[in-house]
This record gives sequence, C-alpha cells and structure tokens, in this order.
Amino acid sequence: MDVFQLRAGDQTETQIRDLNPTQFPQVGLFWTIEVPGHSVKVELDKGKAILQAVHVPIFDYGTIPNALFGGGPDPIPGSVSFRVIWRGMQEQVDIRNTDPVFGGFEGQFIRNKAQMEWTATVGDYRFVSDPLETSSSSFAEIGSERNGSFFSGEGT
Amino acid sequence: MNIGPDAARNAAAFAILNRETRDTGSGRQHRPCMTRRDFALTATGTAVFGSALGAGFLKPALASNWSFAPVPIPGGSPGLGGFYHVFGPASGLPDPIDAEPSTITNLDGFVGLAYISGMVTRTNSKTGERLRLPYRESDMRFMQGKFRGTDGNIHESTFALV
Repeated sequence: MDVFQLRAGDQTETQIRDLNPTQFPQVGLFWTIEVPGHSVKVELDKGKAILQAVHVPIFDYGTIPNALFGGGPDPIPGSVSFRVIWRGMQEQVDIRNTDPVFGGFEGQFIRNKAQMEWTATVGDYRFVSDPLETSSSSFAEIGSERNGSFFSGEGT
Repeated sequence: MNIGPDAARNAAAFAILNRETRDTGSGRQHRPCMTRRDFALTATGTAVFGSALGAGFLKPALASNWSFAPVPIPGGSPGLGGFYHVFGPASGLPDPIDAEPSTITNLDGFVGLAYISGMVTRTNSKTGERLRLPYRESDMRFMQGKFRGTDGNIHESTFALV
C-alpha cells in the first residue's frame, strides 16, 4: 500500500507510507508472500476473483526508494489486512508471450476492474480505508497461466 | 560491493529523483509526488539508478522460512534496471500490457493483478488525531496453483504480492 499526503504550499502529494512484506534488502521474490489457500477464490467464467488476508506482517518503508534501496529511516514493522475483488469481463485475451525479456508464459486473461478495502497498523498509527466500493483500479486482470517449466509443455 | 557504502549515494540519488519528479508538473491538482509508476518512470531515465545498486542486490535469495520456496521469475522490468523480479503490465513501467504478471516462475495456476487507489483514514492511537489520506496505485496480485519449487518438486500453494 502506498499512502500519500498533500504537501503544504503546493499541489503535490508526498509519499509517507510504503507497506510491503519484504525485509530489506529486496532480493528474490518481489514483495511476494505465501498466504493461506482460502485467501484466493477465482471464478474465471464469471470474471470474478477475491484476494483477502488478515494480519499480514509488513514493513513500512515510508517511500518506494527506501524500500528498494534503503538509505532512509529504518522500516517499521506492522501488519495489514485487505480484501481485493476483481469483477467484470471487459476484455478476454489469450496471451502467448515468448519475448525474452517480458515473456516466457502463456495464458488466458480477463481484463476487468478491481476494488479494495484494507486496514493496517504501524507503530502508533491505525489505517482504515474507505469502503471497497469507493476505490478504483487503473488496470486489473485475472487469468490462468503457465510459465517456466510449465510453459510450452516443458513441464509435467 | 555491499550496500552499506552506497547508502549516502543512494540518498542523494533519490533526492534528485524526488526533485525531478516534483518538477514535472502535469497540471493536475494534488498530483502524487511519486507513485510507484512515477518512480519507475523516473528511474528508467536516470543514470543514477544503476549505480545506486550494489552487487549485493543481485544475489538471488530465497525466503528462508519456507520449506520449498517458489522460484522468482527470471529477470525483471527494465524500468527497474532488470534487477527486481517483477513486471508492471499497464503500469508506468516501460513494460507491455502483455508482460508477465506473476512474480514466481514454474507456475501453472491462477493469477490476478490490479493497481488500486482510494482513500484511507489514519488515526494516531495516542493522540486520537485523525487524518484522511489518499493511497495511490497500490499493486495487489495473487498467484495460486501448482509450482515447481527450489527443491525441484511440484507443490501447490497460494501467494500474494502486497
């Protein structure tokens, strides 16, 4: 989660919270954690998916650069709970991407919309998002895919 | 090279990145100073990005608390120097919309990705002070299904990018 604050005196927002589950330095899996199996429910034929988890340990790095490179304040441990819902079937696409940089996978995807509600606790602060219905996504997709050893029938 | 001696240089580089980002006014009001996509765009065109990375960042590392960790996707977005095992399809990164949305490889399963914005209320538990703040382009993803782990065997599990 990336939380911003309006700067006094101008019209820009400054990031003040960057919550992700990875300890510094960021290596290996990128901001990715294992969650219980019931955290995800997918109904591709309906264009729907849910991702939810509670009390996920995170670190607040303040800003993205500090999360990626350090050099800023030490991260503050905390926890986050969230629910994300994908809905709709705006576009269905079959992708077989063999690009050496961006690809190496194939799958069937539905591009749609997603919304989220979340809470977090970091230090003395408690965060509670507005209801899910008030959020919006700039891009969202769900699908099924095969990559790595499962791509092009290489796997079992 | 370890990352310690680079800390000061990193901080200076990020100060430049921040300033450059703030100066690129779009005319929109309340423009975030640096969302994740802004950061990626700025980093793409900034030579300091590469020098800000120490070799220590390039060492693959596995989640030590997992008995069979998944394997990160090979490579990563050129917008992040290719060092981080993630792509941002349809984000501010210079990645195509059809770029890999998963962060783990050897996967046969479901995936989901979304960049979500909204409002959040922050409450100081000591003072009771409340403040409403925007959250911007939060990257939320899931991966669920079969995967071949670092042990070479196939497992089933569920993962989230937060």
